[in-house]
Amino acid sequence: MSWDSFIYFSMAAVLLWAIGAYAAWRDNHPLPVFNLSYRWLAYAATLAGLLVFFSFIILFWISLERPPLRTMGETRLWYSFFLPLAGLMVYSRWKYKWILSFSTLLALVFICVNLFKPEIHSKTLMPALQSPWFAPHVIVYMFAYALLGAATLMALFILVKGKSLPDTRTGRGKEFEITDNLVYIGFAFMTFGMLFGALWAKEAWGHYWSWDPKETWAAITWFSYLVYIHYRNIPHHKERLALWMLLIAFVLLQMCWWGINYLPSAIGSSVHTYS
Amino acid sequence: MWNKPWTFKEGFLIGGGLIVAGLLLELTVGPVVWDAFAWPANGLVLAGFVFMIVAMHLLRRKVYAFRFLTTYQAAIPAMCYAVVLTIVMGLTRQTVNGSWINNMLSFWPFVLIYVFMAVILGLVVLKAPFSIKSASKMVAGLFHLGLFITMTTATLGNADMQRMRMIVAKGEPEWRVMDQQGYVKEMPLAIELQEFIMETYDDGSPRRFASKIEILTQEGKKYQATVDVNKPAEVEGWKIYQYGYDTQAGAQSNISILELVSDPWLPYVYTGIFLMLGGGLLMFVTGMRRKEEQA
Repeated sequence: MSWDSFIYFSMAAVLLWAIGAYAAWRDNHPLPVFNLSYRWLAYAATLAGLLVFFSFIILFWISLERPPLRTMGETRLWYSFFLPLAGLMVYSRWKYKWILSFSTLLALVFICVNLFKPEIHSKTLMPALQSPWFAPHVIVYMFAYALLGAATLMALFILVKGKSLPDTRTGRGKEFEITDNLVYIGFAFMTFGMLFGALWAKEAWGHYWSWDPKETWAAITWFSYLVYIHYRNIPHHKERLALWMLLIAFVLLQMCWWGINYLPSAIGSSVHTYS
Repeated sequence: MWNKPWTFKEGFLIGGGLIVAGLLLELTVGPVVWDAFAWPANGLVLAGFVFMIVAMHLLRRKVYAFRFLTTYQAAIPAMCYAVVLTIVMGLTRQTVNGSWINNMLSFWPFVLIYVFMAVILGLVVLKAPFSIKSASKMVAGLFHLGLFITMTTATLGNADMQRMRMIVAKGEPEWRVMDQQGYVKEMPLAIELQEFIMETYDDGSPRRFASKIEILTQEGKKYQATVDVNKPAEVEGWKIYQYGYDTQAGAQSNISILELVSDPWLPYVYTGIFLMLGGGLLMFVTGMRRKEEQA
C-alpha cells in the first residue's frame, strides 16, 4: 500500500468517524431501522473508522518493510488514529456527547497536515532505529499525546464554559473527573514511553539517559504533568489555576514532540532527529 | 509569613533560597565536580544522604520544617523550580566545558533543586511506607520510591561509569582504549576484528553495520561475538557497542570503532525504573479514580 492510497483510506475513516460523532449527539434516540439506538451507531461507526485507518497503517507498514514511525508525518499518522480511539474510550465510559466530534475534528486536522505536507516515506531505516523497542517507544508516546490532547480540550472547555457549569458531581465535577482520568492514563503511558526510551537508549547508545534535548524536554513535560496531578490532590485548590497548568503542560509537550526541531539550542546536538 | 501552617509562599521561598545559595556556591567554589564522587565517595555520600533523610523523618514531630517538606505546599514549588530550571537547560546549548546555565548538570542551583526534590521524595516514602490499602497510594508509593532510587543512584553512580572507545583492526588484537577525556588506557581484555559487515540500501545509506569480533580475557578465555548497532555484546561487566567505522572506506572498512561501557550502578537504576513502570501500569489499570472527599 503506497502513500498515494492514504487519501482514500483517511477520507473513508473520517466519514465513518463523522457519522459516529453525529450519532453520539442523538445517542438516546432509537435508530429508524433495526431496532437499535444511535449510541450503537456511534460505537459501530467510530470503530469501523478505526479499523479502516488501522488497516492502512498495517498495509503501509508491510509495504515500507519497517514500522511507519520514523518521520514526523508517520507519527502524525498514529496520532490521527489514537485521537478517535481516546475519544471512543471517553465516550464509552462517560457518555460524553461532544467528545467524538472533537476527536474527529482533531484527527482530521492531522490527516490534512499529512495530505497537504506529505513527507518522504522511504524504506530506509537507519541501524540505530532497528530495535524491538522502536515501535513500543513511539506508539506508547503517541497514545499518551492523544490522551493528553483530549485532556487539554476538556480543560479548555471547562475554562470557557466553567461559569455556566454547575459545580456538582454531575456538572463541572464530572468534567473534571474526565480530565483527571485522561491525564492519569496519559501520564502512565508517557511514563512507559520515557522509560522504554531509557531502556532502549542503554542498548543503542550505551547510556539510559544522556540529557539529549529530546530527553530534557521529555523530563520537563513529565514533571509539568506531575505538578498538575499533585495540585489537584489539594483540597480547596484553585480550579482555574489547575486548568491553566494543563494548558502550559501541553505547550511544553509540543516543544518535546516537534518544537525542538526548530530550537537553536537543540539543532545539531540531538540524536533524536532522523528525517 | 512563616506562620504555621506554611503555605505555597513558604514553599516557593525555600526553593528560591536554595537557588540563591546555589548561585553563591557557583560564584565561590565553582561548578559541581561530579568526578569527585567516584567510588567509594559516592557510596559514602549515598549512605549519608539516606541517613540524613531518616534522621529528618524521625525528628519530624519536633521540627516543623521537616514535617512541612512532605506536604504538597513544599513538593509542588520544588517541582515548579525543577521545571523552570530544566526549561532553561532545554533552551540553552549544553556543553561539557560550558559554565553556569550552559553546563546545567554542574550548575549548583540546578543540582540543589534536584537534591531538594530527592529529599522530599525520600521523606514522602518514609512517611507513607508501601501501602496496599488503596490503589492510588500504591501508585504514589511505587512512583516516589522508584524515582528516588533512580535519581540518586543514576546521579551518584555516574562517576563510576566508564565509556571507552576502541579502534579494532583485522588480525590485530587491541587492548588500548581512549576514555572520554581523550586519555589512552589499557583494558583487562583484548579484542580482535575478524570481519566488518556492511549492508546498504539502494540509496547507499547504511542498512546494517556490524563487527564479528573475538574477545580475549586476561585469564586466557576466548569469546566470539557479533556486535550490531542496538545489539551490544557483554563480557565480564563490559558492554561492547558498535560505535562507528571508517566512513570513507564504507563496506571496505578494515577497522571498526567499538565503545566499551561499564556501569556498576546499572542494576540499582533499573530497579528504580521498574518500580516506576509498575506504578505506571497500576495507574493505567485502575485509572486512578481520585476521590473528592480524600485529601
